[in-house]
Amino acid sequence: METSVLEFTAPELHFGTISPLLTVALGAVLLPIIEAYLSRRKSFLSRPVTRVWIGFMLSFISTIFLAIALMLTLGKLSVPQAEVAFNAAHPMIAMDGTAHFLIATILLSAIMTILVSGRYLADVGANYGEYYALVLASVLGMMLLAASTNMIMLFVSLELMSIPIYALAGFRRLSVRSNESAMKYFIIGSFASGLMLYGMALLYGATGSVGLAEIGTKFDPESVLHLLGAGLLLIGLTFKIAAVPFHQWAPDVYEGAPTTVSGFMATAVKVAAFGALFRVLSLALQPGIESLYGALWVIAALSMTVGNVMAMIQRNVKRMLAYSSIAHAGYLLIGLIVPGSGGYSAIMFYLLVYTFMTIGAFTVISVLAKDHEDKDQIDDLAGLSVLRPFLAFVMAVCMFSLAGIPPFAGFMAKFQLFKAAIQASTELGDSSLLWLAIIGVLNSAVSLYYYLRIPVVMYMRDPEREADPDSMAGFERLVLFVCAAAVFVLGIFPHDVFVIFWDVDVIAVVSEAARSMLP
Amino acid sequence: MPDVWHYQMVAAVLFMIGIMGVLVRRNVIVMFMCIELMLNAANLSLIAFSRLWGNLDGQIFVFMVIIVAAVEVAVGLAIIIALVRNRDTVNIEESSLLKW
Repeated sequence: METSVLEFTAPELHFGTISPLLTVALGAVLLPIIEAYLSRRKSFLSRPVTRVWIGFMLSFISTIFLAIALMLTLGKLSVPQAEVAFNAAHPMIAMDGTAHFLIATILLSAIMTILVSGRYLADVGANYGEYYALVLASVLGMMLLAASTNMIMLFVSLELMSIPIYALAGFRRLSVRSNESAMKYFIIGSFASGLMLYGMALLYGATGSVGLAEIGTKFDPESVLHLLGAGLLLIGLTFKIAAVPFHQWAPDVYEGAPTTVSGFMATAVKVAAFGALFRVLSLALQPGIESLYGALWVIAALSMTVGNVMAMIQRNVKRMLAYSSIAHAGYLLIGLIVPGSGGYSAIMFYLLVYTFMTIGAFTVISVLAKDHEDKDQIDDLAGLSVLRPFLAFVMAVCMFSLAGIPPFAGFMAKFQLFKAAIQASTELGDSSLLWLAIIGVLNSAVSLYYYLRIPVVMYMRDPEREADPDSMAGFERLVLFVCAAAVFVLGIFPHDVFVIFWDVDVIAVVSEAARSMLP
Repeated sequence: MPDVWHYQMVAAVLFMIGIMGVLVRRNVIVMFMCIELMLNAANLSLIAFSRLWGNLDGQIFVFMVIIVAAVEVAVGLAIIIALVRNRDTVNIEESSLLKW
């Protein structure tokens, strides 16, 4: 057996391409140092240094890093063709339109999470500075995951995303529920990574390369080894998006984790994992895609049905939102089965909309937390329209949107997704996609029951407790306003979204971005 | 002379032991060690395949996995210690505040 000669070629670095990644990485490294520096001082610029002030400073600094990365990413969105990041011959990551769009969505979710975290963490007695560094490290992992085109990068970035989130789920270290949530997430998440890694080893053994594109040229859907590897790899990724039958962790983890972290997990992790699924399915597993459609079809149908049915019997809002996120993973999987770029662009639009409505809903719950306790039972929301009208309004908008009622954005997103599925099924003359769209529509109808229960409780029941003093911070008001406004605007004028001083046609942006990924 | 498929057999057996351990055992630390066993089974498999194909991608992959596993140990043990401080148990069946 002959071993190859060791040759070392220095990778070309294109700093312009990876500048958003570098910004976030720099932030993740600098934040612990800044925290250590600030907490050693008695006063800073003649102000007394307190824990709350440090928390505020750190959230401010991390928001600046994320905002710079977001600006850099948005600047690249207008040129959707792939840029070379390291090495054109063996790309580790592909910074194309899809990657940029998903990265922008991840950064938006992270910025909103960080802005609402400061007061919540102080309220539940977990105001430690590591929080922000962990969020930034996790965001870096997500950005790389959404862009990775190589199994080594896929595995490392998946772990870079997950490991800080295990720690974040257990961030309220004195709360037993938070500990339990972190422990369950950690065991199940690492188990899934183990399965995925073995799948990658088998794919490497079957094809002799770790690049997704090279695997795609050699992938043989007839061979057991190839299919076993592909199956294990997909199981690992479906664990991360919490699709049935790999969903049991999600309700427990979302319920026990700090509320802001649950919102972050529900949105950003899903965006990044769908980015990885795009790459794996469109590059590596393209030759065998026919034999995987059946499995994906079953997973999508089961996720929608189980998620919606289980959500109906929940009494805890966070737990209900967890089951709803399982159902939404099912809707999103429909887009993966649609061949061509139509399904991918529908998924990307859906993920953007889903980020706004879910962060909005979780933020409302986090604002309600009081005296070191989450007020997250559905009964706690009774009469909220009298006690806190603004919160009740935003929550109602998010719920209508999640249920997919026009004119809110959730309707537009579902419409795009089902339209892509139905179009593809008429073009191909394949009725299985049509049936999946029908199951999706029926499930949306079922979901009305539990989504609408929340506005009913808020607006039609009398308050059971005294009005709290309004302790909302300005940032929380801002995030809630942005979420509600985005849900309206993306639902009514998706072709003409007004961002500061640009008119953006979001639908055109996503279809452009989706096309840029496919060869 | 063992060939690459013998190594693959050992790796597959280790991987199955790991999976069974996670599914059957109820002690968090043991479950955690079984997860490490799964990762190491994949490592063995990667190295043997790397030898089979005569390229170094598999070896590089293993280095990355070793680093990730070390990080996972640090975070995982910290989570388990936090749990033990509050609950005084490493049995996963007794951690059942969150269900249904």
